[in-house]
Amino acid sequence: MLFNSLTFIVFFAAVLGLHALPLPWRLKKFNLLIASYLFYAAWNPPFVLLLWLSTLVDWFVARAIYTEERLTRRRGLMLLSVAVNLGVLGYFKYGEFLLENWQLLMGTMGIDFHPPSWSIVLPVGISFYTFQTMAYSLDVYLRRSAPAESFTDFALFVTFFPQLVAGPIVRPTQLIPQFATPRRANVNQIAWGLGLVTLGLFQKVVVADGLLAPAADKVFGAGQSLPFGDAWLGTLAFSGQIFCDFAGYSTTAIGIAMCLGFSLPNNFRFPYAAMGFSDFWRRWHISLSTWLRDYLYIPLGGNRKGSLRTYANLLTTMLLGGLWHGASWTFVAWGGLHGIYLATERWLKRRFGGRSVRPVATRIGLVLLTYLLVNLTWVMFRAQDFPTAWRLLGAMTGLATGDQAVLPRINVIIVAVVIPVMLLVHWLMRERELEAVVTSLPWWATATAWAGMLFTIVATQGSGDAFIYFQF
Amino acid sequence: MPLSTFSSDARAMPAQKPTFYERHVPDIRWGRTLVLCLFLALVGFTAWETGMRSLGLFPGDLGDGQGHWAVERRKIDTSDQDAVAIVGASRILFDTDLDLFKSKTGLRPVQLALPGTNARPFLEDLANDEDFSGLVIVGITEVSYFREGLGLFHGALDYYRTESPSRRIGHRIYRALSRHLAFIDDGYGLTTLLERIRLEERSGVKGPYDDVWKISVAGADRKTWLWDRIETDTYLRDHARYAWDDFRGDPVSTDIVDTVIDSTRRDILKIRQRGGEVVFIRPPSAGPVLVNERLRAPRSRVWDRLIAETGAVGIHFEDYPATRDLELPEWSHLSRDDARIFTEVYVDVMMGRVDWLRQRLPEG
Repeated sequence: MLFNSLTFIVFFAAVLGLHALPLPWRLKKFNLLIASYLFYAAWNPPFVLLLWLSTLVDWFVARAIYTEERLTRRRGLMLLSVAVNLGVLGYFKYGEFLLENWQLLMGTMGIDFHPPSWSIVLPVGISFYTFQTMAYSLDVYLRRSAPAESFTDFALFVTFFPQLVAGPIVRPTQLIPQFATPRRANVNQIAWGLGLVTLGLFQKVVVADGLLAPAADKVFGAGQSLPFGDAWLGTLAFSGQIFCDFAGYSTTAIGIAMCLGFSLPNNFRFPYAAMGFSDFWRRWHISLSTWLRDYLYIPLGGNRKGSLRTYANLLTTMLLGGLWHGASWTFVAWGGLHGIYLATERWLKRRFGGRSVRPVATRIGLVLLTYLLVNLTWVMFRAQDFPTAWRLLGAMTGLATGDQAVLPRINVIIVAVVIPVMLLVHWLMRERELEAVVTSLPWWATATAWAGMLFTIVATQGSGDAFIYFQF
Repeated sequence: MPLSTFSSDARAMPAQKPTFYERHVPDIRWGRTLVLCLFLALVGFTAWETGMRSLGLFPGDLGDGQGHWAVERRKIDTSDQDAVAIVGASRILFDTDLDLFKSKTGLRPVQLALPGTNARPFLEDLANDEDFSGLVIVGITEVSYFREGLGLFHGALDYYRTESPSRRIGHRIYRALSRHLAFIDDGYGLTTLLERIRLEERSGVKGPYDDVWKISVAGADRKTWLWDRIETDTYLRDHARYAWDDFRGDPVSTDIVDTVIDSTRRDILKIRQRGGEVVFIRPPSAGPVLVNERLRAPRSRVWDRLIAETGAVGIHFEDYPATRDLELPEWSHLSRDDARIFTEVYVDVMMGRVDWLRQRLPEG
């Protein structure tokens, strides 16, 4: 079920109404659990079985790990959880990719291998909930936390519908304790929650889908070399689209959870105001970057095993982070570029010292340089294949430009207005929290901005397009 | 500069154990904020709805799309043997009055034609449906039917086969709202209108003016007709004519004609073997659109061969005096009044020439 759908409005109103009834907390949690399964089943009912599989395996494995003292058995159980979760993910998400590459490899060795056609549908949000449940078993294995005491609480942790299909990837210690005691939002929380839902849907429906997607689609869909300006405008448009799409989802999820009385963590902190790539990754998809840090980078050795190993760990983490986004080498290249950026930044800091930068002009320069380099990576992320990516990068670097523009004038104007406004907002909000800004505004200004967003969402209508991150 | 997310020293800062925190709610007067917000939004919605009605949109125009199509296609699955299905592109969609068809024959066709879309996969779908033994009316727009591509709604069949429960429910809600609100219309969203601001276009670039805009209105069962503003508003009519001008191209190749006729013949055979029938109808076009179509798909090379080689009944608008000079405001679709005339004529012809239909007509 999409947040930006009429079905969801009805569903959410029903859940909210049910949650407000004076029922025992156990029953309310059960309602939320059923609602979450319905939310998922509304897209494709049979795939609820995968949720159940993931839930059951990690519930029993984590309990077994907790009571087991023998290291080899503990490790075996942990590997069982990882194998089941990654196995499911691998089968549904990477099966075709692996088969294609195996075919290519065989071809290079002169073996004519023709695999059967692979027509498996990718279960929505599978990358998110498998990582979330894996974190649970890994935390117990690493003795970072104890297993949940209630199966309902754990099942709800795996399935909680606001963040089920596109995050934030919540840690067990962030969410499970919230299910332990009765929670019901007060009027202020519901109002603020609805405000966040409005803001998130405004980002998705109006900015991402309505204003920026047309330009990005035209440029990345052009099967020809493009002029320098069009290539850049299309990429800038995508940078705004992907941010507003994904941050919009997270903001909506946080708002929905808040209306029900739960707190989800921030997943974005105005990332296009980042100074450098380590700063970028502390602001972009925070729940994934911290997951990768805690469950991949640090177990690989982090920065404990010398410089060379640290760089290798960074690169490995980012390459796998890229692959997490999709079964394609372009995503791996995207992750690889970010890995190179992070490694280079680390080397520069060690070489020249990590002094804090004070002059505003220098800070703005660093922000713009970071944004510019991030945009080069977005080409890899958005392009459907490498020829498209090389074509775009060739045009953006001026090395291989084309003559024929593809962007209509109105799209040029929209991108030229929306992107600077977005960057300005990110810059102004760099060190601030949204809550503090709203508190400082006159109440009528908040009401007017809120009404404006509400109106534009409804007037834009939207086409019910899925959020981009659903496919991951 | 802050430390890297990935540069944390695992010994100094082991993997975090995030714990939940209560999100902070801004300390403002939420009651009055909410009231003012809702008031302003309501004023905005009312103004927008009024504005859209002044542009000619009205409640009850249910729109069209894959969700609407899937609802109709499912009617075939649940219908009895006497189902009549219409496949084709926008002309047979706009130019058929379903109510009139029903009043003359006692049978209400299931409207499966899709704008800008090749009818062949949909004929093939019905041919492969073992439970279907009805009558298929295939609307022929030669440059659409005799091509390799599938066109605008190429994904309609996949959508119908895989439509999620969520989308089905959403579609019902959408239709319910469309009955009461005029502004719910794909072609008149805020950002869509923003894109249509007339600006001098960049050289060689196809802009929003080159797209096909809203030209139709749809009621229940996908009963569709030409939007009356296309008849009365010269700007919109001229735009529609301009958009059709983009459908120029090379003549349809003999290879494609051969291939399409072969596959059509196979589909007809399957349907006939189950007791069904297929009829081809060529709705009118006019002006430069017709000139272009005659150049790309001359009747003798395409239509006449299709009818001769499939052995199906064919009804071409040029063959009947009553349908030769009908009004086509934008050269491609009949006005609503003339769509009734065209329906009347072609249904009369079918009642006389198509045994399948004749056998099912109500007595008297």
